[in-house]
Amino acid sequence: MKPNGLEALRAIQATLVETLMPELQSMFAQDSAQTIAMLVESLAAEWDAAAADLHTDNEAIRGVLAAAASALLALPGRNENRDALVIDVDGVMREAGDGSGAVSSLSAENDRLRLVLEHLLSFIEDTSGELDSEGLDETRRAAYRHLRQVATRGWCFWDVASFRERMVQARAETQT
Amino acid sequence: MLEPRIEEFLRSRVPAAEGLAVSALHRIPGGASRETWSFDATWRENGGSVVSRGFILRRDPDASLLESDRDLEFRVMAAARAAGVPVPEMYWLEQDVSWLDRPFFVMERIDGCETSPTKVLMDPRLFAHREKIAQQFVAILARIHNLDWRALDLEFLGVPADESACAIKELDKWEEVVDREALEPQPVLRAAFRWMRRHSPRPAERIVLVHADYRTGNFLCDAEGTIQGILDWEMAHLGDPLDDLGFTVIRPWRWLGNELMCGLMERDDFIRRYEAASGLSVDAESLRFWEVLGNVKLAAIFLTGARSFCEGRTRSPMMAFLGRNVSRLELEIMDLMGV
Repeated sequence: MKPNGLEALRAIQATLVETLMPELQSMFAQDSAQTIAMLVESLAAEWDAAAADLHTDNEAIRGVLAAAASALLALPGRNENRDALVIDVDGVMREAGDGSGAVSSLSAENDRLRLVLEHLLSFIEDTSGELDSEGLDETRRAAYRHLRQVATRGWCFWDVASFRERMVQARAETQT
Repeated sequence: MLEPRIEEFLRSRVPAAEGLAVSALHRIPGGASRETWSFDATWRENGGSVVSRGFILRRDPDASLLESDRDLEFRVMAAARAAGVPVPEMYWLEQDVSWLDRPFFVMERIDGCETSPTKVLMDPRLFAHREKIAQQFVAILARIHNLDWRALDLEFLGVPADESACAIKELDKWEEVVDREALEPQPVLRAAFRWMRRHSPRPAERIVLVHADYRTGNFLCDAEGTIQGILDWEMAHLGDPLDDLGFTVIRPWRWLGNELMCGLMERDDFIRRYEAASGLSVDAESLRFWEVLGNVKLAAIFLTGARSFCEGRTRSPMMAFLGRNVSRLELEIMDLMGV
């Protein structure tokens, strides 16, 4: 058995905080070391679940986009932006990941999916209140629900300061 | 190796100085958009008594959270000080890179003060002065908004076409930053821009000097709780007073983790005091627009740092770290949009 990535990150963090930082004389060096310790904390927080999270996110976005495609096609009349969006959604839904399970591959797939999600949300926000479509309203809710889950994940230095109470509430919301 | 070069620069600027020596040079944490250095200088003038002064030098970094104009910051700070706003005295602006490799300016160092939000809000000595700090915090903001920027020759900041153009001008500016700096898709930020364009605020009550980064962490506070200097004017511009308020109230500056704005006072209290001090009114829906933009703006600044890091223009861990912290701002933006 060997130390895994997370254990190694924790060792780096512990050495930095307990051994190196007390020896640093300048305020700037101490501040930089503290930033590195926080950067390591942020990496450690996503280390183990990085691939699983990306896989889950990609599936979730595919679900949102699939529902969006149906809702968009059900809209009455013709609209250039809508038609372009349908083509985007269709294109990205046909692209499969390379199946390697590597974080870089999942991440690239996530970027492709999020780009179409970005276009979709822009379209929905642009037409908000103009299109009477329960399907698009539900797509909007599902898209933001997913984005909220992603935004709540991981560790951020604000979680122990300005976002302390908000994150307690946010995590409770995403668990229900 | 910076000390002798700073000495040489000072000699050029204070020709009457004899035996000029620079000491205690050290870099100060924070100020991610510029390097901030503190140093002491002593000299003798005209064979008389020894002069000893503390200085702050702000030098352009190799890469920054924000590309900002040091000339703008220097001129605005000098103008605000001249108009009675507590701001350190501005000494020299130097654009010639031969002195210290990059442009910089030198200003007065105000000793005996804290800037760190942790210290200002939690140090037992200052804790007792929180009400006094809150009162000044609002009063100074109101004073900045009531400055006669024309009389101070601040038109160079760019005058919005009219009161209704302030919001769109800022929106366009920050959307352009996201367009330029984002390295990956940003569905929340893009949706927020669309949302903001559909939820325009009321026209500004009047066009004012906007500090644009007015918060705990950007003022110098002495042990008696007196605010001695307002710092970090690099994003200053002319615009809507609510532009300032919207950035001041964003959650990242609620350092105590509760709902106290800037760790100092409740939101309603802040608005009530501001309205009384400035004579301007605060429309709640307009403020919501500016608060969304405040969060988007901070996210855009972080994206700028992230790009600098990813493109190898800086090795600063701060740039890497902040670039990984956009998610909490997204959460806040979605809360404010009500989605």
